[in-house]
Amino acid sequence: MANELDRRNFLKLLGASAAAPVVGCASKPVETLIPYVVQPEEITPGVATYYATVCQECPAGCSMVVRTREGRAVKVEGNPSHPINQGTLCARGQASLQGLYNPDRIRQPLYRNEAGELTPLSWPEAEAMLAERLQKIRAEGQADKITFLAGQLPDSVYRLATQWLEILGSSRLMTYEPFGFEALRQANQVCFQQASIPTHDLAKARFLLGLGTDFLETWHSPTRYAVAFSQMRSATASGKFVQVESRMSLTGANADEWIAIKPGREAFFALGLAHLILPNSTVPAEEKARLSQLLQPYSPDRVASVTEVSAETIKRLAREFVSHGPSLALGGGIAASSRQETTSLIAVNLLNYIAGNIGKTLHFYETQERSQISSYAALLSLIDVMQRGEIPLLLLANTNPAFSLPPSSGFTEALTHVPFVVSFSSFPDETTERADLILPDHTPLESWGDSHPEAGVYGLMQPVMSPVFETQALGDTLLSVATQVDEAFSESVPWKSFFEYLQASWKERHGESGEPGDFDTFWRHALQQGGVWQIKEPLPVQLSPAVFETSFSEPTFDRAGEDALTFIAYPSSRYYDGRGANKPWLQELPDPMTQAVWGSWLEIHPETAERLGIAEGDLLTITSPHGTIEASAYFYAGLRRDAVAMPIGLGHSGYGRYAQGRGFNPVHLLSTHPETAAGGFPWLSTTVRLARTGKRALLATTDGSRQQLGRGIAQAVTAGQHDEHRHVDHSEHPARDMYPEVEYAEYRWGMSIDLSACLGCGACVTACYAENNIPVVGEDMVAQGREMSWLRIERYFEEPQEGANAPEVRFAPILCQHCGNAPCEPVCPVYATYHNPEGLNAQIYNRCVGTRYCANNCSYKVRRFNWGEADWPTPLNLQLNPDVTVREPGVMEKCTFCVQRIQEGKDRAKDENRPVRDGEVTPACAQTCPTQALTFGNLQDPASRVSRHSHDPRGYKVFESLNTRPAITYLKKVHRNT
Amino acid sequence: MRFSLGSLSVFRITLLIVALLAGLSAVQYRPDVSGRVWQAGKAAWWDYKLLDLGLTGWGQAPKQPIAFSHALHAGEYGLDCLYCHSAARVSPAAHVPPVQTCMGCHARPTPNPEIKKIQTYWKNREPIPWIRVHALPAFTRFNHKRHVRAGVACQSCHGEIQRMQRVEQVSSLKMGWCVTCHDAHQASKDCLVCHY
Repeated sequence: MANELDRRNFLKLLGASAAAPVVGCASKPVETLIPYVVQPEEITPGVATYYATVCQECPAGCSMVVRTREGRAVKVEGNPSHPINQGTLCARGQASLQGLYNPDRIRQPLYRNEAGELTPLSWPEAEAMLAERLQKIRAEGQADKITFLAGQLPDSVYRLATQWLEILGSSRLMTYEPFGFEALRQANQVCFQQASIPTHDLAKARFLLGLGTDFLETWHSPTRYAVAFSQMRSATASGKFVQVESRMSLTGANADEWIAIKPGREAFFALGLAHLILPNSTVPAEEKARLSQLLQPYSPDRVASVTEVSAETIKRLAREFVSHGPSLALGGGIAASSRQETTSLIAVNLLNYIAGNIGKTLHFYETQERSQISSYAALLSLIDVMQRGEIPLLLLANTNPAFSLPPSSGFTEALTHVPFVVSFSSFPDETTERADLILPDHTPLESWGDSHPEAGVYGLMQPVMSPVFETQALGDTLLSVATQVDEAFSESVPWKSFFEYLQASWKERHGESGEPGDFDTFWRHALQQGGVWQIKEPLPVQLSPAVFETSFSEPTFDRAGEDALTFIAYPSSRYYDGRGANKPWLQELPDPMTQAVWGSWLEIHPETAERLGIAEGDLLTITSPHGTIEASAYFYAGLRRDAVAMPIGLGHSGYGRYAQGRGFNPVHLLSTHPETAAGGFPWLSTTVRLARTGKRALLATTDGSRQQLGRGIAQAVTAGQHDEHRHVDHSEHPARDMYPEVEYAEYRWGMSIDLSACLGCGACVTACYAENNIPVVGEDMVAQGREMSWLRIERYFEEPQEGANAPEVRFAPILCQHCGNAPCEPVCPVYATYHNPEGLNAQIYNRCVGTRYCANNCSYKVRRFNWGEADWPTPLNLQLNPDVTVREPGVMEKCTFCVQRIQEGKDRAKDENRPVRDGEVTPACAQTCPTQALTFGNLQDPASRVSRHSHDPRGYKVFESLNTRPAITYLKKVHRNT
Repeated sequence: MRFSLGSLSVFRITLLIVALLAGLSAVQYRPDVSGRVWQAGKAAWWDYKLLDLGLTGWGQAPKQPIAFSHALHAGEYGLDCLYCHSAARVSPAAHVPPVQTCMGCHARPTPNPEIKKIQTYWKNREPIPWIRVHALPAFTRFNHKRHVRAGVACQSCHGEIQRMQRVEQVSSLKMGWCVTCHDAHQASKDCLVCHY
């Protein structure tokens, strides 16, 4: 080649580049130190301040503690004292910071000018514009038609909005959540006259039966259930979990037994079990007779033919359901929500009732805030009214129907018939893009508010930092607009600010609570603690006679043809209903089952694919009677052969740079015809035809292999068969060391990872990104294997066991093993990586010259090389943890066991002149883990939890035969087959 | 590409040139008294990898927006360092005092133009844009609290601050300098103590 850089020119260039800094240095800018004018009392520069608040990433109401440094939020963690999440947090909660600092947020009020463009506006102008509109509508006598459509709002905001509308003369405040669980409330109304969501006491159950319920991902309160699930599965409780569903969810992957059922037939399965259990049930005789009549048609053979689960399995599970008690059956996941969802959940209620679980593992309490949620059918009638042009003003907050409803619902079109649409959204989502006026609300981390997720539990939200942009709290906007409409309105809302309103409502709460002391003490205590909670007595419930009127039938599907495949749209643990899609951490968090990032796919059983001549990675056209989308095929054995599945949450046409144009929205294929009894959204209601486009579209995934290939990375053992003495296989490589044994003094940091507890949810991965300034690299780089995650979760499929419906799934979090005999250390030519006296495998960035020898020699693939400049578009950079260096291109990096936290812990211990206590230092991954699968501590202290785990008979080291002597002990997954 | 004896000697000569340039830049770099301070946050690779110049502002005494005299406050009046830099005792950061601290003494009207400046900042609710003197690279951590509590005098690193009209960085703050002291006091020399 003519242009080839020869040695001479290369050296010339090298000389020139060495000279360059000499010239370049002189023009570097001056760095200033900007002190406070008045230093806030609670802030000491360099020391973190913590605030408790409530997570709003889903309606579960988990409490968070937000770590702030010099007035900006840098990390969120679960609130240890809160009864719901008990100190833990899911990946979506961890990523809430990227909502706060999202670079695509709406930065000030906007209105649509005559040319149809959104133009900035000042707050007084924007408020005046809305006030003027309200005056006009009132003058026209149309005030009763003003409509407010919102997602679940913080409790006090909801009440203020209701009052505000009432004063205007309207009662049209509708709360809509795409995952609204209408059928569950309806079924409880029919069975027990309680239109509420009960509390499921998983921790107390010893036999758990899930019927399509993804309670570890999106169902109601996933973090709470994950905590309870780990208690149920602990060594002492050793509860068994059986999941019955059509597509193996992450929840199903954690089951001891996974049973594939014909899509939408969960009701029959529950009825079949109830039928078998009833004769031995303790229900009153009269009820028993009526139930017997109701359940009479559901003999195992009939149920087997409807559900396509064998009669033997049904009989066996019916036996286990009773003998392994206390039991609990859960029903009603989004993926299983057919048009017969209500009757399906009535069947589950009956099963629980007959097995005597009501009042034992299933409790009803007074109604909570989620009871306010309207049904999808109600939203459809609103769309109808909008289409008729009868709504003069539509206010939208915290909701995105233009994305979450199928286009054929007509919502987007109906918006054009509303003369004035106001959105309070902080983000440019698909619905907000169509608004005439945008009055951006604060994000939850900037807001005051409260939540009432459960009986007796009141969470309190407080702003953890001053607003990032010129946004204004929804409550304040409503109050401020009210003062501008007219005097009477102004007088009816006497509160000067939303904060005052919130305090007023908490004064009432203080009165009700009967707590001694004045309000200020109560308020301060609630702020510190994240809310107030007290144990409530469950309500006694009785079976309502209405239940005997129920008739059970198979769900209807909108068919795409004779041999069409059932289309399962399942909720993503990463994006929830799609609201998580604008957060790069969640986009780059590998999907727990497919390990795919930044995109969506269509799951298809390999045998079905073979039958249809589809290869993995083929771009397919998916056609239902309601629409057509494209997606690439992903082979997934945890799926019925007559179904295909696709995650919900991607396929945004707006919603900022991270969400827009990524993946496909399965909602486009779904029917708009609501669920029969409760009017919920029919997530499981269509069948589809597949056609190849001839194009290929491979997914960017982080898994090297779906199988372990005999490497023994994620090991398992059958319950009761633990080896009492650990045996290390040194046959391959005899344990001979070239280097002397390392002597540790006071500390050797180590970790234990319990594979039986690990759910594979990925909360730890996102927590690690947040804590350690790990850059998000994007789809292309991940496809090249250049992701930067220090911690990943390996997901392996094992060969299906005899008679099993699907392969067994094992998860193994893999991070730097901090080897005592690390292969990476001796190969570093510049001593950038070395073994520190406390057992950490240290990486010194400023020594590193990027040879990548260490990564090459690492047996665990946990070292990451910075191939490019990390990009944190403003203000995402404000989230960066000031206690961790931001690495540069050309530098190797890896897990440090959160050395900054170790240093902080040692610093504190030194102040108090004592050694670091067990549990005092917790890395970000272990801190957030809902099941406490990760334990960190000092291996030199024989009493520490991690030391005890490292001697557990289940313990093993990954690749022990290589004699790397890892500081991480894995505890084998326990199989419970009986 | 061909390897021959000739090209090898060219290689050697070029290496020598590089080394010379490196030496030259080192000479140019150190005492910059023009008031310029190197930006700490974002070092280019040559700043510390090839030439090991360190990134500190050794020998610099930049002109500050207010001619604050440590000689007067810490020297003549004998104010305790921690009176203003109170965080040094409780935080890794020593912190520059807020304007409020200055106003604790300087609130009364005065003809002194420098004190008037403080009052103007205070009136406008503006922070004083002090110029950074002591800068460590981003990949280096220094915990003030630990050193203060170990009884290390501020002067050990910051020099005779109580005699300085304008603050100057008298210590190199380079790694060798740190390690010498750690060595003498049997403090930890583990890399991870400062680099993470």
